[in-house]
Order: sequence, then structure tokens, then C-alpha cells
Amino acid sequence: MTKDDRFQSLYQKYYLRIVRFYVRSFHLSEDDARDLAQDAFIRFYKAMDEYRGEAEWAFFETIARNVAYNRIRSQNATKRRGKHVDIEDPKTRVPGAPAPDYAKQQEDATRWRQLYDAIAELPESQRQCIQLQLDGFKYREIAKFLGISDDAVKSRRRDALKHLREKLGADLLPEDDE
Amino acid sequence: MITKSMPEPPTPDEMLAYVRGELSADDEARFRERLLPYPELVRTLTAPFPTEGAEPGDEDYLSDEDFARHWAAMQKRMPRPAVVYLWPSVAAIAASLALVLGVLYWQKQVQTERPHVLTVDSQPLFPDGSERGGGSAPATVMPEDGWYSLVPVLMDERPFDSYRVELFDAGVDPQRSLWTMSGLRRRQDATLIVAVPRSFLSPGLYRLAIYGSKGKGEEHVNSYTIRVPTTAH
Repeated sequence: MTKDDRFQSLYQKYYLRIVRFYVRSFHLSEDDARDLAQDAFIRFYKAMDEYRGEAEWAFFETIARNVAYNRIRSQNATKRRGKHVDIEDPKTRVPGAPAPDYAKQQEDATRWRQLYDAIAELPESQRQCIQLQLDGFKYREIAKFLGISDDAVKSRRRDALKHLREKLGADLLPEDDE
Repeated sequence: MITKSMPEPPTPDEMLAYVRGELSADDEARFRERLLPYPELVRTLTAPFPTEGAEPGDEDYLSDEDFARHWAAMQKRMPRPAVVYLWPSVAAIAASLALVLGVLYWQKQVQTERPHVLTVDSQPLFPDGSERGGGSAPATVMPEDGWYSLVPVLMDERPFDSYRVELFDAGVDPQRSLWTMSGLRRRQDATLIVAVPRSFLSPGLYRLAIYGSKGKGEEHVNSYTIRVPTTAH
């Protein structure tokens, strides 16, 4: 099988799966994901003579992740260079929108501050689980990231919530609903 | 307001080192802690990378027609073979190299075809007419490793700034000048050293004349008649 044949075979089998991987894990738009996937395959094609078999696909994963991390990095750099808008600036407020309830905002901010301070004081293993859950990760995702079982994640989360309820009161936290 | 500074996000290289399992257990733990403030990066590690490809007939298997379109698009994005772009540079480098080699070759040719000063002692020559030189009998010189190494002994105590040597073909009348070189320095043992390539001297009689230079003036110091035997060639 020639290099071009091998490349075509891999491309046809994996291109769309790589696109989906980018959309799901890197939160890229479909168009960006397609563009990035093609970029990764081009780089792979140029260097694929150096690898064979399983090493070849591991090599592709490295390339695919690398192009995506670089994209994220450049996007973040662009964001950092972007113009900052003060949301309290009356000129930026939507016409006709109700005036902000500053008392409510202050109360919410205080509650969140208390929550985050309490989380920061948790043992590391519990804190990581709670922090990741607040960022929207599922049990299995947390488990994969921390390299532990799903049950261990549930157990740590349960212990963490117990600590937090004791410290902050039951009404501050939702029930264990996952 | 209390703020906590966020750690620097990991670089792509650091992320890849983690993915490839190149970090120690301690470093992995530290790395995870450093990643926590960046959920968008954490998410890239929680979704499995595709390891099983689609098969023909699967929904996400790219058809031959689609691949052909993608391939055409990719070829536009691929840089042309480097040799196309490099060729002018390569040609320029080759031309420069050829020029340098040419100059070096020319210099070497000039060096090998003409006498020059060496730093080794070899055949001491005594001036014509001196007692040690055996009167007017020419000194027979023999080449060694392709060179005649001539060491004329200066039998003149006059101080000169430098010396000039001139080689004459003494086999013709009048003698014909073959080569000259100026700016030579007298050595502590009152000699000069002159190396003559073997090919420069065919069998016959030659005269090496030494002139002393001081300011703009020049005076004859000594002459040395030498004979190159036919056996030297």
C-alpha cells in the first residue's frame, strides 16, 4: 500500500470522527473543526513516512491535539488583546432593559464568595471533584481526568457536599441529583 | 476585592507531555491542579480520542468523492515541494561555492607554480665566490616531496629592512628573470628560506639573487648559482 493509499484510507475512516472530537472536546464550531482536522491531516501526511502501525495513529493524535491547542492558545491571545467593555457603563446597557438590582447582585456575590472560600478549604481530592462539577463535568469525565473510578468521584463529592453543608447551611447547595 | 491570581495555562507541549504520559505521578498531580482553572483545557482531556475508524457504509465514513474534493483542497494548502523554492537558493550557494573553490584552486596553483617562503630548514646555499660555497661551482639542489627548499645564507652584515629574492634562468645569455618576491625577513641565523616547486625548475642552471631593501633603496647582497640535475626530474 503506497503512502497516498494509506493516507486516503485513514482520512476516509477518521476525518469525520476527528471533526466530532474537536467539536465535543475543544468546543470548536463545526467549520473550525473541519478546518482544523484538515490541517492536522496535512501535517500528518507530510510526516507519516516516519511512523507505522500503532505508532502512526499515536503520532496523529499528537499532531491533532497540537494543532488544536495552538488554535485555542491563539484564540485566547486574541481575546486577551480584545477590547474590554465595562458592563456597568450606561452606554453599553441595552435600551429599555430594566435597571440592575444591585442589592440582589451583592447578595449573590456574597453567597458565591462564601461558597468558593469553603470549597477552597476542602481537602484537595474533594475540592477537585466539586470544582470540576461546578464547571459542568459529568462523573465519568471527572473520573477520567483525575484517573479514578466513577464511584470514587461520587464518594468524594458526597463527602465534599457534607463538609460544605455543615459550613454553609443546607439551603446553599443543591441536592445530590446526578 | 480579594482576587486569586490564576496559574499560567500549560503550553501545548506541556499538554502533549501529559497526554503521552511522560510526566511522573507527582508532576501529573501538579499538572492537574494547574489545569483546574482552565475547564476548556480539562475538557480536551476528558473526551476520548477516536481510536476506531469508520468503515465503508458507516454514517461517518467519507466517500471516495468527498475524499477527492478534500484532497484537492488539501493540495492547495500544502506547500509545494521545498526544492522548488529552494532551487534559486541552492543555485546561488552552489555558484558561491564554485567561486570560492575556484579562487582557492587558483591560489593553490599560484602557490604551487611559484616559489614561496617556507619555514623549514633544508639546503643551505652559500654565496657565489664565498669560501664555503666552493668558489663559483654551482650548488646542486635536489627536490624533496616535490619541493626545492633553498636556504640562502646571507654573508653580509649590512642592516636592511627586508630582502627581495629574484630567480634567474642562468642557462641563457642574458639571464632571464623567472620570478621575484620581496618583503622577506632575515632570520636570526642570517638565512632566508625559499621553497620552489619541483615543476617550476627544469634541469639546468639558475641564479638566485638577494637584494636588501632599506627605505626606497635596494642593494644587491648575494647571489647563489644552483644547478638542477636531470636526475631531479
